Amino acid sequence: MTRHDKLITHEQVSALADGQLGGDELGDVLAELAESDEALAAWHCYHVVGDVLRAGDLGDTRGDMAFVSRLRSRLVAPGGLQLNDEAVVLDDFRTGLAAPNAGVVAPRVLSTESANDSSRRWKLVAGLASMIAVVAVGWHLSSVDAGLGTAAELAAAPAANTAAVASIAQPAASGLIEPTVMLRDARLDELLAAHKQFGGTSALQMPAGFLRNATFETASR
Amino acid sequence: MSASWLSAQTTVVPGAPAVIEAKHSELGISDWLLRMHEASRKRAYIGTFVVSSGANMSSARIWHVCDGDLQMERVESLSGAPRSTFRRNEQVITFLPESKTALSEKRESLGLFPDLLKSADSSIEQFYAAKQTGSERVAGFDADVVVLQPKDGLRFGYRVWSEKKSGLVVKLQTLNVDGHVVEQAAFSELQLDAPVSMGKLTQMMGNTEGYRVEKPELVKTTAIAEGWTMKSTVAGFKPMSCYKRPVSAPDGANPESTMQWIFSDGLASVSLFVEAFDRRRHVQEGSMTIGATNTMTRRLSDKTGDWWLTVVGEVPRNTLVAFSQGLERKK
Repeated sequence: MTRHDKLITHEQVSALADGQLGGDELGDVLAELAESDEALAAWHCYHVVGDVLRAGDLGDTRGDMAFVSRLRSRLVAPGGLQLNDEAVVLDDFRTGLAAPNAGVVAPRVLSTESANDSSRRWKLVAGLASMIAVVAVGWHLSSVDAGLGTAAELAAAPAANTAAVASIAQPAASGLIEPTVMLRDARLDELLAAHKQFGGTSALQMPAGFLRNATFETASR
Repeated sequence: MSASWLSAQTTVVPGAPAVIEAKHSELGISDWLLRMHEASRKRAYIGTFVVSSGANMSSARIWHVCDGDLQMERVESLSGAPRSTFRRNEQVITFLPESKTALSEKRESLGLFPDLLKSADSSIEQFYAAKQTGSERVAGFDADVVVLQPKDGLRFGYRVWSEKKSGLVVKLQTLNVDGHVVEQAAFSELQLDAPVSMGKLTQMMGNTEGYRVEKPELVKTTAIAEGWTMKSTVAGFKPMSCYKRPVSAPDGANPESTMQWIFSDGLASVSLFVEAFDRRRHVQEGSMTIGATNTMTRRLSDKTGDWWLTVVGEVPRNTLVAFSQGLERKK
């Protein structure tokens, strides 16, 4: 136990940041933090992530469009990040919206990616922010530039990535396999808000619909 | 055997409640919806409203008051970022104290009902059936439980708790095609006929001092004028309105506008957002589910150009697919 380098993991740092460590484990992690720059950097990173997730203004994604665009470009670039590699998107905490099946998808993502980097990355986020809305995303890897390719064609293609997508997608009634869930961004938030404002054309609008929308407003407002 | 049991249940149960229930069970879906709507127009109340969607929950404090045709409401968020929403008929203003911004807008859709129901071409009855399934207590009030069952797979169902005396909706669930609850909204606490001062609400709504008041830049238009049509319509969904709004491009150098074409079947609504395709911003097609709301994004191409379509609605995903396949360029 004299060398902590290999003994403490990012999960433990995350747990510490969440206040979930105790006893010997707590002592080990604290000792490591005091000695290792890497561990200290991880500690700092978890706190920044936590701050961003918790703070409404910091979590506002409107200023981050450029980042999101770059991330997307990398995701869809040939030879870029692989499926599920960045399959976690932090949602805006204030919005507090999540795909209801996120909890179902996440374990499968983990199970196919046992203790490697990407699952650690997942835990980096999920462990810290278990109360945060996290949208699990299986990327549909065909870039727009490569042409559309219908969902049915994608499902039929033998590529491993596509098969993985199909396994977490729900077959729609039409027989099409929908290309799973997409990255939530500020623009989509704007459109969701616009839909709620002007698209709330329902006989149930008064009072339930209006109250529902006013209570459950999206973050872009 | 089961048929006789059912008829025995509806006719033999004695006492006054049975009479009320028998009367209610004869109500059609339009009767139910009108009754629920009228209740909110005639009663003052204060309550706590809770919405759960997917894994998330939000709550707000509600004040509602009415005077003749004038309806006023105050919604104070209890979760998430602080937010106060005031409504005076169709006029809505949302105060965001953290950014000192007040969003002022007119929501025409709020005024569409009950004309939506009364109009001769109302198709709600064609696509949904109402069935009273029992009585339950919500927020201390006895309520009729009514299921609005869709007649096809293009829309969700609803389970509505309507307060017995007034008809006020005290709880609402959205049910997917399998009958599972995908979203739920309810009063956790409710005070009917509460003393709410309209004068005070009016004063609070008008007090924008210290706030930057923003109004959405919207232009009313028609789909045809924008060069779009539905070559195949989606059963039950009628076009309600169409707007143009400027795109807020990150670099601020994009004067393009987005068209929002809104459809409704009377209970569910779908928005089609169409904008010019931009290779830098429009990278990833896909779809997403948030509680009862589904979204789908697609690139559309034809001889005359490329567009980026986002379809949003409280409908099953295959309904969004049907909309995306029905949209056609006409210019």
